[in-house]
Amino acid sequence: MLFTLPVSLFLLAFIAFPLFTNLRLSLTTPGGALTGRYFAALFKDRSLWASVLTTVIYVGGSVALQLVLGTAVGIALDRPTRLRGVVRSIILVPWVVPGIVAALTWAWMYHGDFGILSRLLIDLGVADARQGLLTRPATVLPALIAVNVWKMFAFVAVMVLAGLQGIDPSLYEAARVDGSSFWHEVRWIMLPGLRGVLVSILLLLTIWGFNSITIIYAMTQGGPADLTMILPLHVYRMGFSFFNFNAAAAESILLFAILAALIAVYLRLFSHREQET
Amino acid sequence: MKRRRAGTVGLGVFLVLVCAFALFPFAWMLVTSVKPQAEIMSIPPRLVPARVTLGHYADVFLKSRMPRYFLNSTVVAAGSTLAALAFAVPGSYGFARLRFRGRAFLQSAVLSSQMLPTAAIIVPLFIILKTLHLLNTFLGLVLAYLVITLPLSVWMLASYFRTIPVDVEEAAQLDGCSRLGVLLRVALPLSLPGITATAVYCFVVTWNEFLFALSFATNGRVMTLPIGLMEFTQEFTVDWGALMAGSILMTVPIVILFFAIQRAFISGLTSGATKG
Repeated sequence: MLFTLPVSLFLLAFIAFPLFTNLRLSLTTPGGALTGRYFAALFKDRSLWASVLTTVIYVGGSVALQLVLGTAVGIALDRPTRLRGVVRSIILVPWVVPGIVAALTWAWMYHGDFGILSRLLIDLGVADARQGLLTRPATVLPALIAVNVWKMFAFVAVMVLAGLQGIDPSLYEAARVDGSSFWHEVRWIMLPGLRGVLVSILLLLTIWGFNSITIIYAMTQGGPADLTMILPLHVYRMGFSFFNFNAAAAESILLFAILAALIAVYLRLFSHREQET
Repeated sequence: MKRRRAGTVGLGVFLVLVCAFALFPFAWMLVTSVKPQAEIMSIPPRLVPARVTLGHYADVFLKSRMPRYFLNSTVVAAGSTLAALAFAVPGSYGFARLRFRGRAFLQSAVLSSQMLPTAAIIVPLFIILKTLHLLNTFLGLVLAYLVITLPLSVWMLASYFRTIPVDVEEAAQLDGCSRLGVLLRVALPLSLPGITATAVYCFVVTWNEFLFALSFATNGRVMTLPIGLMEFTQEFTVDWGALMAGSILMTVPIVILFFAIQRAFISGLTSGATKG
């Protein structure tokens, strides 16, 4: 008990108390009177709901691509070759690179005039790239999702690789006796065996997606015309650009509620499917 | 047999492409950082620089305030790592070994605080730090970073402590060791790899963190590298050469540190997630 006291007190003071402060701020006027006006204002704020939609697209797109690419790389690495360690180290570099460095480097690669990626796209016939992928409404979200996928897919690959090593080898042997193909093994042995790992990854990636302010803040600051204003950035702007702490608190409770609802849905889906099998 | 070989070649090509995807931005950062200004602004951009210069690095060291931010980042990252370990070592040992009322509740509270979105807590944290006069101080930043690093540190360390055989600790207790003695003399030395991995994790996260630094440390005396790096970007003119040189200087120590403990970190991370 005594051993855990410092941690508990710290969490009480710097997590539980701030959360309570958020609730208090969202429900009281600066003078201290109880009010529901900040929550009422949320429902009228169209930019807020636009940003909720943007968040769903950004986080959903990022997580889906991170999962697909990361799982593919994890499966491709699941054989004892000499190169496995090297490849694993190389792909982890993006994950370790500071978010701000990743954002600024990609912004440089997307640069309309001098960017290497824009040049590549122009050579491939995408003439629009000349104006810079980050300033065009049609390309800005995919461009940001690409950065997010680059940054995080290795995490999925490493976790999938670890999950694959926990699969009983006799399953593969039995399948090979039956003459099964590689794809057959992926579909009927690897993916079912990975389900638990994939659900935890999905959960973590979603939470991190909701946290990923750095990339967007540094690359577009939510623009052009608020098209990349994801919800956490909206909260941040309300608090630290407009200095409306009460409204920011109400928005952050909305953010919290959306994330909590998503987590609950994931857990429900997962435990439900567990019972079926 | 032939199909298997074709499959292996296909997988090899796929992995090479993935590695290229992973490394290319880093390589481009490096190339840009050693290009002369005229070549950085050439259309079309050149993949291999015709002339190599270290001028941008000289600019970063001599003409910018990056050395100071480097120092600030080191102080903050080291301070918050030490603080995280000071809280997390006894805490995680308590969760792993001791039985007491409310343990399950506390443990799940720690776990779920790991899932807290930063944006949901940044306004109240700002107010608390302001009230305590800790904005723009190293101590304030260290405290704020504990909010991010402490939950996962407790989680990682607790899973390490659980791998230590209980018999070893019981033997030490029979020999008259107190709980604290067991922790310091038996559990701590045995879990040194886990502690190292946790320490590096805390250091890397703190070093890289952007949003708290942006909100709580705007003064140059305490400003850390991620925010300092932004000084190379103005609205209309960006010094890309210096920016990329600064990025390299900020990234390389972290990458080296990470690869030094990669094995221990990955096994700690994956064992927690695949079993838990």
